[in-house]
Amino acid sequence: MSLLAVREVTKRFGGLTAVDAVSFDTHEGQIKAIIGPNGAGKTTLFNVLTGFERPEDGTVTFDGREVVGMRPHRVVRAGVARTFQNTQLFDEMSALENALVGRFPRTRTGMFSASLRLPGTAKEERLAQEEAAKTLRLVGLGDASSVPAGDLPHGRRRLLEIARALATEPRLMLLDEPAAGLNSSETEALAEVLYRIRAEGITLLVVEHDMGLVMEVSDDIVVLNEGKKIAEGPPRLIQKDPAVIEAYLGEEEADA
Amino acid sequence: MGARPGRAQRSRLVLIAAIVIALAALPFVYSDAYLLKVLSFVGINVIIVAGLSLLFGYAGQVSLGHAAFYGIGAYTSGVLAVRFGWPWIACVAAAVVVSAIGGLILAVPTLRLKGHYLAMATLAFGQIAYVAFVEAKGITGGIDGLSGIPSPSLGPLELRSAESNYLLVWFFVGVALLLAGNIVALRPGRALRALHASEAGAQACGIDVVRTKVQVFVVSASLAGLAGSLFAHLVGFISPSSFTLVLSIELVAMVVLGGMGSLAGAALGAVVLTLIPNLDAVVPGMSPRAVELLQDWNADIFGVILIVVMLFMPGGLAAGAGRLAGWVRRRRPAPSEAEA
Ligand SMILES: Nc1ncnc2c1ncn2[C@@H]1O[C@H](COP(=O)(O)OP(=O)(O)O)[C@@H](O)[C@H]1O
Ligand SMILES: [Mg+2]
Repeated sequence: MSLLAVREVTKRFGGLTAVDAVSFDTHEGQIKAIIGPNGAGKTTLFNVLTGFERPEDGTVTFDGREVVGMRPHRVVRAGVARTFQNTQLFDEMSALENALVGRFPRTRTGMFSASLRLPGTAKEERLAQEEAAKTLRLVGLGDASSVPAGDLPHGRRRLLEIARALATEPRLMLLDEPAAGLNSSETEALAEVLYRIRAEGITLLVVEHDMGLVMEVSDDIVVLNEGKKIAEGPPRLIQKDPAVIEAYLGEEEADA
Repeated sequence: MGARPGRAQRSRLVLIAAIVIALAALPFVYSDAYLLKVLSFVGINVIIVAGLSLLFGYAGQVSLGHAAFYGIGAYTSGVLAVRFGWPWIACVAAAVVVSAIGGLILAVPTLRLKGHYLAMATLAFGQIAYVAFVEAKGITGGIDGLSGIPSPSLGPLELRSAESNYLLVWFFVGVALLLAGNIVALRPGRALRALHASEAGAQACGIDVVRTKVQVFVVSASLAGLAGSLFAHLVGFISPSSFTLVLSIELVAMVVLGGMGSLAGAALGAVVLTLIPNLDAVVPGMSPRAVELLQDWNADIFGVILIVVMLFMPGGLAAGAGRLAGWVRRRRPAPSEAEA
C-alpha cells in the first residue's frame, strides 16, 4: 500500500498554475526523487504536501489520512517532516536546541507545567536532550551541538535541518534540494546520511537538482515541468525519456 | 545550555542566591522609606518586563501597548477594592484574570500582524485603553483618578509600611522571574525562540504558531496585570497618567537595553531605567537640582542609552555581562584542578 498518495493536485497563483493535476504514490521504505527545471512547481508541491499551501483541487492521503486542510504543525504530528530550500533554522539557538525544537511533537511540557516544573518535566527534558543529541550524531553533527546554527557553514546547516526534521520522528521526510550549495565531498556525505535515514525505516521524498545524487540514491523519480508531471519511473528509464531530455534541454537553452 | 551543566550553572545559582538574600535583608539593615518605595517601583517594572521579555524578547512579538495591561490590572484591582470591598488577594487574582482576557482580546485579531503592523495595532490598543480609563468616569474616576485603594492585607494582617510593601512586591518579582525562567529554559521557551527566528521552521517542527502566540500574549498580559494590581495597592491612588504610551515605550526600551533573548538582562534593564529618574534614592546626597535635571531629561536619557546600546552592545546588557564574565574567567588561573 502506498504511504503517500497524491491525486490530481492543482495549485494556482493567480493566473499561474504552479502545480497542474499531479498524481503519484510513494511507498514505504522508498527514496523517491522529484526533479524538474526551476519553476517547475516542486517547492509548491512540497508546500501542498506539508500543509503550507492549500491546493485548489486534488487530494493528498498520508497513511490513510487526508492531509489537505491540515495546518502544517498537524501534518508534522501525523508523521511528515520537511526541510526547506532556503534553510529555516533558528540561527541564535545552538544546533542541539534546534534539534530539541524538532522534538516538539513528541514531547508535552506546556507553559503551565514548565513554569512550575511539574513532576515529569525534568525527565521529559532529559530524554528529549538525549534524542536530539542522537539525531545530531546520525547526520554527523555530534561535534557541533553547542554551536549556534547561524555560525555553522552552509553544508552543515543543511544537515542540521535534516537532523531537526528527523527529531520529529517522521515516517516520511520531504527534503527540498538538500544538496544545493554543497561541494562534492559534502554531497557524498549527504548521500550517506540519506541511506542511514532510510535504514531507520523512514521514507524519503527528495527534490534535487544534483543529477549524480538523484541517479545514485533514488529508487524512483517523478519529473515535473511547468507544473505537470511529464514522467515517472526508475532512474535508468528517466535518463532516456525523450520528454525529460527535452524539458532539460529547453532549460539549458533558456539559461544560455 | 542543558548539555553542559556544572560550573556556569553553579555560579549562576550562587549569584541568584546572593541577590535574593541581599534584597530580602535590605529593609532590615537599611530601612529608608523613600529607597524602599523606589525599589518597589523597580520591582513592579521588573514584573511587567519579565512578561514583555517573553512576548517581545523571546517570541519576537512587539507590544507598544503593555501599559494598557498594567492599567487594566491596576483599575480592576482598585475598583474592586474601593467600590466593592473585595479582599486584597481576590483583587490581585481578578486583576490577573482580567488582564489575561485583555491579552486574549488583543492577541486574536492581531495574530497575522508582524513587525510595524503589530506595533501599530498594540499601540492603538494602548491608546484605546487609555481613553477608556479617562472616559469611564463612573468606574475609574476619570482623569481625577481613583483614590482610597487600601493597602494589601491578608486577613487581619495589613501591609502598610514601606518595608512590608517592598518585601511583598519583591516576593512577587521572585515568583514571576522563577515562572518565566522555567518557561524559557524548557520546551515552551524554545518554541517562543523558534517562532521568533522562523515561523515556517517552527511550524515544520510541529509548533502551533497561532496557539503559541496567543499563549505568550496572555501570559505576558497577566504579568503586567499582576504588576498593575501591586502598584494600585502600593500607592493607594491611580489615574490614567500612570498608563500612557510613554510607559509602554519605556518598557520596550528596558527589554532592548537588557537584551532581547535574556530574562535576566530584561530585569536588569528595568532596574537601570527605573532608577535613573529616581537616582537620589540610591545615591545619597545628590542635589535636588541634579534629580530634577534627570527627571526633566528622562526621555532623552533613555533615547541616548538605547542608541548607544544598539550601536555598541547589540545583545544589550546581558550580552555585555556575558562578555565580561568570559573575560574574568579567562583571566583567572585554570579552575579545573583547583576545584577537583
Ligand atoms: N507564493 C507564490 N506566489 C506566486 N507565485 C508563486 C508562489 N510560489 C511559487 N510561485 C510560482 O510558482 C511556480 C513554481 O515555483 P516553485 O514551486 O518554487 O518551483 P521549483 O521549486 O520547482 O523551482 C514559479 O513560477 C513561481 O514563481
Ligand atoms: Mg524550489
